[in-house]
Amino acid sequence: MDLVATRTFAQERRPIRHVDWFLLLITLALCVVGLLLVYSATSQTLRQGGFDPFDRANKQAITMVLGVFVLLLLAAVDYRFLKIYAGFIYIASMASLLLVRLPGIGSTDPTGTAQRWFAVGPFQITPSEFTKLALIITLGAVLANIRTPEPTLRDIGKVLLLAAIPLGLVFLGPDIGTSIAITAIVVGMLIVAGTKLRHLIVLCLVGIIGIVLVFQTNLIKDFQRERLTAFINSQSVSADVRYNLDQSLIAVGSGGLLGKGYLHGIQTNLDYVPEQHTDFIFTVAGEEFGFVGAIALLALYALLVWRAIRIAWLAKDPFGTYVAAGIASMFAIQMFVNVGMVIGIMPITGIPLPFLSYGGTSILASFAAVGLLQSIHMRRFT
Amino acid sequence: MEKATSRLRVLALLVVVMFLALSTRLWFLQVLASQGFNKEAHAQSIRTVYTDPLRGQILDATSTPTHPVVVVGNQESREVRIMPSELGDQGEAVVLRVSQITGVPVKEIAKTLQDPKYLPTQAIPVAEFVSKKVKFDIAEHPEQFPGVSVQSTFVRSYPLGTTAAHVLGYTGLIDSTQLDDWKKLGYGPNDIVGKNGVELSYEQYLHGQQGVTRLLVNSDGDVLSTVSSTKPTPGDDVQLSLNDHIQRLAQKALLAGMQHARSYHDQNGDLLRADAGTVVVMDAHTGGIVAMVSTPSYNPLWYERGATAAQSKYLNNGNIGAVNDRAIQLAYTPGSTFKPITGLAAVKEGYASLSGSYDCVGKYTHPGDTSGAQFVNWTSVDLGYMSIATALEKSCDTVFDAFGSDFYYTWANNPLGANADPLQGDLRQWGFEQPTGIDLPFETGGLIPDPAWASDQKTLFPYGWVPGGDILTMIGSGYVQVTPLQLARAYAAIANGGHLCTPHVVDQIIGPDGSVAKKIGGDCDQTVPYTADQLSYIRGALGSVVTGGTAQCAFAGFPLSRVMVAGKTGTAERANKQDTSWFASMVGPNPDKPDYVIVTMVEQGGFGGQTAAPITRQVIDGLYPKIGDASTPSCVTTDR
Repeated sequence: MDLVATRTFAQERRPIRHVDWFLLLITLALCVVGLLLVYSATSQTLRQGGFDPFDRANKQAITMVLGVFVLLLLAAVDYRFLKIYAGFIYIASMASLLLVRLPGIGSTDPTGTAQRWFAVGPFQITPSEFTKLALIITLGAVLANIRTPEPTLRDIGKVLLLAAIPLGLVFLGPDIGTSIAITAIVVGMLIVAGTKLRHLIVLCLVGIIGIVLVFQTNLIKDFQRERLTAFINSQSVSADVRYNLDQSLIAVGSGGLLGKGYLHGIQTNLDYVPEQHTDFIFTVAGEEFGFVGAIALLALYALLVWRAIRIAWLAKDPFGTYVAAGIASMFAIQMFVNVGMVIGIMPITGIPLPFLSYGGTSILASFAAVGLLQSIHMRRFT
Repeated sequence: MEKATSRLRVLALLVVVMFLALSTRLWFLQVLASQGFNKEAHAQSIRTVYTDPLRGQILDATSTPTHPVVVVGNQESREVRIMPSELGDQGEAVVLRVSQITGVPVKEIAKTLQDPKYLPTQAIPVAEFVSKKVKFDIAEHPEQFPGVSVQSTFVRSYPLGTTAAHVLGYTGLIDSTQLDDWKKLGYGPNDIVGKNGVELSYEQYLHGQQGVTRLLVNSDGDVLSTVSSTKPTPGDDVQLSLNDHIQRLAQKALLAGMQHARSYHDQNGDLLRADAGTVVVMDAHTGGIVAMVSTPSYNPLWYERGATAAQSKYLNNGNIGAVNDRAIQLAYTPGSTFKPITGLAAVKEGYASLSGSYDCVGKYTHPGDTSGAQFVNWTSVDLGYMSIATALEKSCDTVFDAFGSDFYYTWANNPLGANADPLQGDLRQWGFEQPTGIDLPFETGGLIPDPAWASDQKTLFPYGWVPGGDILTMIGSGYVQVTPLQLARAYAAIANGGHLCTPHVVDQIIGPDGSVAKKIGGDCDQTVPYTADQLSYIRGALGSVVTGGTAQCAFAGFPLSRVMVAGKTGTAERANKQDTSWFASMVGPNPDKPDYVIVTMVEQGGFGGQTAAPITRQVIDGLYPKIGDASTPSCVTTDR
């Protein structure tokens, strides 16, 4: 083999030459939209309170800059290292979930209705956001080690056991949204790993029985039960929960085909939708940019998920495929559960919309996920 | 990895299903159901605040911009208001303090605060007309009175009290019927509106336009900005044709006359009760009401500020009927005051002639009637043949009875003919049996009995229409019912040459800028079919009633040569009651063109010449103060 040709070939395969620019472009577009929406949702209230109307948008922008560093870091590191250290990552993640429950170390909303976080200076770090990525890496490593064409029951059992611990901890958080996301990630990765259909069906049945049991016993709190069932029967729930859903529907519905125009949303400006800059950020898009804007935003997410699936397909090894598929599942389910909740076809659970919802950890975790995807994409030839 | 490709497709398919579900739902929300949501969004974010306009005043006829005579005005009231949401945890203590300082019982304040008609964000008025001291005390100790404020507001004032209550009316919270009718005009459920009298009939002028401020509010109810704001437009002032001075005078005369009447005995030897009455003074040429007194009366403030138990009992007592305007809302048997009008009908139909003479017998029997029914005159003596004028002067019933027989024959000979009952038709031409159309609410029409009516009254007329029906109608007796105002309007037509004017108490509407926005009244287009000569003849006859007839005593000593008075007394029988005393008259310096028509009626007042005529003389003394001698003759008469 010609030396020159070999070098050229090696040059050709350098990871830096295989960045998924399209994925970066989508990420950038989502960030810009996110900043615009956060500004719209918060500026009026801030101005009224005598604060800088850009306060929240600025903070979000700073977080995004940090996110870019996280992205670069993860893209620079060969993702295969992560497979080696998957065990450590898993244990560290479980430890953070346990620590955040300890009073004095972790904090939570006094009402006990929000996720738990670590207070780090001005930032709140919600470990459950990283748990999802940690679990994706862990399960990717486990599934990649399977030598049989299809995972055996033992393999599935192992996967489920590994998933059950963070799922239980997050669920007790209480954080039903992340629980749903974890479940979807596990299912998505199992599908891609080639789990037999009948095993998947059994799994689904077990899941359904589990959910029914959870509802029957007092494992979930009343406010959660209410929020979860609000979208099915809006008459039976308390005024607060119905208000949340009603205001959200009014905001999105009143946007109409073309929306009321940026910064002209009545619901948005007047602070009618609770949690509007975080979990209900989609209402701003729905009200101010209308059906056309909302569909365009969904299309951005569709491109993001498509890019992730494409990377799973292009990945050099099964570990890369599983991780990318896990990330695709994560983005897809977060988007679906969040937007579905806002427009009343999914239960009300606290789950952020990737890149859009205000909140540091969610943004950082999303950037980390894109970083992982880039790492896989860049190293598909090496 | 071949297999992974197909599995990734499965994953992609699941994602596509998710996007389809979201898109479908968004299409429904934002395109199909968007309008409804849009409406909801606007309803909750714009709050409309209304500022009540200052209600227009009611002025008397003599009022001028420089010398206003206000008969209904607006009075400033300092109101103590409590904002429940700002009371905090010391609500009870604050209410107790407010009670101590205002004198309003704690219980009452608590009840007001819980009244569901107030919004929780509203300052609720708990005491009105508080002193300046209360205002300062509350202002100086904000820590003792959190959420309590004293604010000036305007309430209605009625300086005339009971004097013209029926004409002026009163105001109150809009009721559901009014709201339904006036919603289109912009009225809301908390509006104070006219409930009776001019306050009601001129509501649309008096009310004014509310100021509307549209505020942008957020979900906490905080006001962010003002979207639009219009100032309230004060209501128009309403100037009456009613003269405050004459009104007071007429009321005084009526009350004094009734008092005086209670010292007389009726035919049975009982003292007259004279417990109710009315005086209507009307401009004979325009229909403008100069005075309209009805007694017993009430004070409009009882409705405005709440009545005591005794006042409520009085107002609700149907036997007293204080709420009824007796000039327009109740109808009475007119008695002999009807004769000039029925007499003209007899002339018109050819049964009588102004140049003829007719026998005034003591007892009249309908020709051919063998039932023994007799119609007696006030004296059993046959007064002999006399003219129509003399029959009016002496108030001879039997002359008119005979004309009644003629009317009856006309009907009996051709009951299904085109003009089978000409008497009733002629009377209706004077406006009887229908409301006059005066600008006051709840007017009644009265009754002119006719064969058709009789056929429905099986107990009163078991055999249908009978001669007595026409005979009694001729003398204003039987079942005829007229309102004093209808009678005044008919007499005005006699006075003014045959014009039936639509009566009115309001002359003009004056806009907030002081200019006349609208003229009211002056509708005299309807006429009665009698010649000037015929009407002049009747006026002359009515003049002789005063100079030499049944009202002679009442006007003894009155300078009739300077101010002509012409009128007709009436004494109407009434079931289970003493006789109704009437005097319907016209008065003025020019005998051919009298200025005013005055109708006085006193329930259970006895003879017309005895009670109603002297009251009328008192009113005339007031109308012509330099001419009248203000004497009050005692007239005990036996004629009707």
